[in-house]
Amino acid sequence: MTASDAAQAAGYDLPLPTGEAPAARAAGGTLSPESLLVRNIFWFCHLRWMVVAILGGLGILGLFPQALAYAGLQLPVDWPLAAAGVLAAGNLGFHVHARLLRKSLSSFQAHLNLWGQIGFDLVILTAVVHFVGSLGTSMPFAYLFHIVLACIFFSRFESLLITLMACVLYMVCVLAEQGGLLPTTGMYAAALVRGHIELTPGVFLLNVALALGIWLTVWYLASRLAAMVQARDVRLAEANRRLEAAIEDRSRHMLRTTHELKAPFAAIDATTQLLMSGECGPLPDGAAEAVRRISARCRRLANEIQEMVQLANLRSHGQGPLRTESLDVAEILRWCIAQVQPLAEEQKVVVEARLDSARTKGVDDHLKMLLGNILGNAVVYSHEGGCVCVTCAPAASGNAVVTIADQGIGIPESKLPYVFDEYYRTNEAVRHNKQSSGLGLAIVRHVAEAHGIRIHVTSRPGAGTTFRLEFPAGETDPSSRVPEKESEHGVPDGYR
Amino acid sequence: MAYLMVIDDDEDFADAAAMVLRSAGHDVQVELDTESASERMKEKPPDLVILDVMFPEDPSAGFKLARAMRQSGGEISTVPILMLTAVNTRFPLGFGPGDIDEAWMPVTDFLEKPVDLGLLKKRVAALLGQSEGPAVP
Repeated sequence: MTASDAAQAAGYDLPLPTGEAPAARAAGGTLSPESLLVRNIFWFCHLRWMVVAILGGLGILGLFPQALAYAGLQLPVDWPLAAAGVLAAGNLGFHVHARLLRKSLSSFQAHLNLWGQIGFDLVILTAVVHFVGSLGTSMPFAYLFHIVLACIFFSRFESLLITLMACVLYMVCVLAEQGGLLPTTGMYAAALVRGHIELTPGVFLLNVALALGIWLTVWYLASRLAAMVQARDVRLAEANRRLEAAIEDRSRHMLRTTHELKAPFAAIDATTQLLMSGECGPLPDGAAEAVRRISARCRRLANEIQEMVQLANLRSHGQGPLRTESLDVAEILRWCIAQVQPLAEEQKVVVEARLDSARTKGVDDHLKMLLGNILGNAVVYSHEGGCVCVTCAPAASGNAVVTIADQGIGIPESKLPYVFDEYYRTNEAVRHNKQSSGLGLAIVRHVAEAHGIRIHVTSRPGAGTTFRLEFPAGETDPSSRVPEKESEHGVPDGYR
Repeated sequence: MAYLMVIDDDEDFADAAAMVLRSAGHDVQVELDTESASERMKEKPPDLVILDVMFPEDPSAGFKLARAMRQSGGEISTVPILMLTAVNTRFPLGFGPGDIDEAWMPVTDFLEKPVDLGLLKKRVAALLGQSEGPAVP
């Protein structure tokens, strides 16, 4: 090795999987706008507008003291409106903060926002509890809303801090009232009812202790359940990420495998064509026939590989929702007829079409595969000089109805239930055409099942076969075409 | 006679295609990877490129070369491209000119492997007659 060779030498270590969960790697990073935490911030803000409206409503109710007095209640206008105003101003601030930082909101900032919201709420709530009645009403149980929400949003430790904060604020409120620092108020009109509990210390302590005990119990139960749900969410998210990666990997592997399997056949086929065309010199008749058989077998194998991959792809698509769009079945049929035309001319078969526009919802590629396979079969299994008749029209129900009828070899009645099975071929079909893989109608079945297309086959041996397809109704107006997603390996999904 | 460039990592197929096209009177250059093809066409721009999609180092190298050619801005940007592919799980019957989209598939025409060499000769003749727009199948 020369000095210059040594200078150019480069090393590479194959990275081994660390087993580190993607969630752990992403921790502390920037949150996406769709993340749960950010969604919670906005949801919490929306919820608070309702509370603002309720407090505003209470303030308006205070304008009718006579009606309230009739119900044994008293409600001044000032504190509900003041609380509503402060709450609205704070809510606006939290909302604007989250919206401004939406695209670059870090996990820390999101936590800070939520902590601020809950802390702010607890202070306002304590004021409301004081004005409504801290001991004589059920208002203090409103703290439970925030305790439960904290269990959902935060870790157990953080939710415990929120719970303790609620306990402290409530204790400060009732002790201040007891100590005379705050006047004893409430919505009950009768002073006796408002003051009754304050006059008996034992009842006061029991009430406060019960309230705090209930909050801590609720915190314990809710935080434990929330922790279990969060742990399961993390496991599910991780499983989902692995599944998506596996599907993508499988798809890439399938693409590569198809290429690696088909490419050699393409080379063999091209070479046999050279031999048959005489490019490499004349061949004796026997050798020419042998080369022709090699070529035919090559094409058949290449087609079989193609159909196996199509079927595998359809099965994998069946695991997720289809990306459907509004389609004109007549347009798809025109495309399929154009594709099958050279074969029809070769077989001396005429394709006649009467196509009226009829819409359905589906995946363009899949419907082309479905109709292309049925149409291809109709041509292949026709007799020379035969006719394939294709019609398309909307039925009275609005469903697109397609018929593809041939005058070919037909299918015996006893064999009709099996024609959609994988690799099934009738003896009559094998005798007529040795090139089929037996997968075409299995592909048709998969597409039909995924799209809810009803297929009815009628056939008479020696007279022909008719496929009647009823598609689910589509939208009247064509929707915008779903753009093809270019997969990671750069090849758009449909062009594999 | 035209100067054609066949770009395909499968040497057997590329040689077979080249032999047929040479017998049709064309001057044919075979390139087995897109990088050397890109360099070679800068030295002498071909009249037509016959391009495979997948290459061992990059499964979309063919697409990338086609896009790079169209974006080059020079003489190469208008060279007709006939794309060949062994992978088309989309339809049992092959691609059509309607599938060509200048945004992501800036080629002039398609042929799916295994290729009928007679059809290849016809497509090449058609494309050399019209340097713009997809050829009618």
